[in-house]
Amino acid sequence: MAPVRLSNSVLGSFRAASRRSALWRRACLYHSYEYNQAPPFPPAESAILSAALAHVPTHGFTSGALTQGARDAGYLDVSTSLLPRGVFDLIYYHLVTQRLALKDSVQFLAEGEKGKSLSIEAKVRSLTLARLCANEPIIHRWQEAIAIMAQPTYAPDSIAELARLADEIWFLAGDQSVDSSWYTKRASLSAIYSATEVFMTQDTSKGFIETGKFLDARLEDVMKIGGFFGAMGDWLDYTGHSAVNVLRSKGVRI
Amino acid sequence: MNMQASKTLFRRQLLGGLKWRRTAREPYRCFSCSIRHEQEPSPSKFPQDTAGTTHFGYETVDEALKEHKVGAVFSSVASSYDTMNDLMSLGIHRLWKDYFVRNLNPGANPLTSSSDPEKGWNILDIAGGTGDIAFRMLDHASTINNDAHTKVTVADINPDMLAEGKKRALATPYARSPRLKFVEANAEKLDMIPDNSVDLYTVAFGVRNFTHKDVAIREAFRVLKPGGVFACMEFSKVNNPLFDAFYKRWSFGAIPLIGQLVAGDRDSYQYLVESIDRFPSQTEFRDMIQEAGFLVPGQGWEDLTGGIAAIHKGVKPIR
Repeated sequence: MAPVRLSNSVLGSFRAASRRSALWRRACLYHSYEYNQAPPFPPAESAILSAALAHVPTHGFTSGALTQGARDAGYLDVSTSLLPRGVFDLIYYHLVTQRLALKDSVQFLAEGEKGKSLSIEAKVRSLTLARLCANEPIIHRWQEAIAIMAQPTYAPDSIAELARLADEIWFLAGDQSVDSSWYTKRASLSAIYSATEVFMTQDTSKGFIETGKFLDARLEDVMKIGGFFGAMGDWLDYTGHSAVNVLRSKGVRI
Repeated sequence: MNMQASKTLFRRQLLGGLKWRRTAREPYRCFSCSIRHEQEPSPSKFPQDTAGTTHFGYETVDEALKEHKVGAVFSSVASSYDTMNDLMSLGIHRLWKDYFVRNLNPGANPLTSSSDPEKGWNILDIAGGTGDIAFRMLDHASTINNDAHTKVTVADINPDMLAEGKKRALATPYARSPRLKFVEANAEKLDMIPDNSVDLYTVAFGVRNFTHKDVAIREAFRVLKPGGVFACMEFSKVNNPLFDAFYKRWSFGAIPLIGQLVAGDRDSYQYLVESIDRFPSQTEFRDMIQEAGFLVPGQGWEDLTGGIAAIHKGVKPIR
């Protein structure tokens, strides 16, 4: 008995250790409540970038903003060489920090506490709006950022970051789907988010009411399309089975 | 008697032949063992394997001798330097140098820098004798950033290369301006440059020839201001094995030949390709920069033309 237990405990501790190291290594690949994620940018870079973001409303997404940021952070003009992708690093910093800030900026009441809790769709809507509002201070410069993100060199990173944002929103909304809708949900939210973001750069209404309306309309479209395809799927499934059964009743060996 | 003599002679010849065959025989080696591999002195990547010696191409030479030998190489190639570079790299070295300078974006734009006590950047171009990088830096600062104050100090250990640079400077607007200065100096002992005084330290295709690379990088760390940048462009390792095979063929086959035909100096260009092959890989050199205390941006280097050359950067941390 004893050797068995020993081997079990040894095996167990080994398993735990290996799992921990694997988790530590892939900390960025999935959500974990138990392990703190490493900060996404090294300290020197984030000092320059966060200072540079303050200059974006006046200088736009340009190397001028980076230079000003480097000076504010106590560095020299030349220190912007620390950012290998230049202005895109500034945009990327904004995207990543705003995505990570989402989990602290939007809080939902715990389920069942107040009787009625928000539906997942409503949570997705408020999270998306919260993320869009984070662009508000720099929205008049955001078209420059979109142009830079669309450059072929940077497009893969930008699209990956959009996918991560969509994933973050669905995760924070409490979506637990494990079927193919996992993909369609994220894909459709990515499309909606990017469309709404572009709409917002042209929105002149007070408090971006029009952007909110636009977002609602797009979400509604997706519900309708999703409902249509869902019903279509049900109908095809039913008709297919019926056809097979009819054929079987006629003696066809299927 | 005669018969006897010829017999012994024949035997001797046979014996001698056997003996000869035995000495010339290859050392024992089969595919499953590595005895032969161990017998050969393995070429190591870093200089300073044993105290007092370093590498000069594939040769191992006395440390004191390397400086002298490199000096001889560059003295002999100084006048045909540009023609040779164009022929060897098919003109691509100009694109690399342009990109290197454009990416560093030298010069403080007076429109964005409102209240700066010290105007312009202080750039130190090491091993830049012919002024290739220096003139590009000054051109970029003046025309792109409208900065008429950025200074470049060109330092080179070789007076012949400096003379070539001074000659070329006469054709630029910077020849008699205080913005361009030529200094004869060893990159490992920059005594005339005070601590924390340089914004940007550049060395393009020079680190390879230093006797002690680590000492030179530490010296760069000393002269740079906190936040200053060490930028180095150097030949490196090609990533794609297919392209590497082609590149090796070109560098070992064509370059010494071009050197012989155009510059009349095969040995110098043989040294050039050997020293390129000897230079540490991207990751090794990145680690050397980090060891000196620099922060490296991103992965630490940027490959040019599939890794034939690479730009390494390091930023001196503040505080």
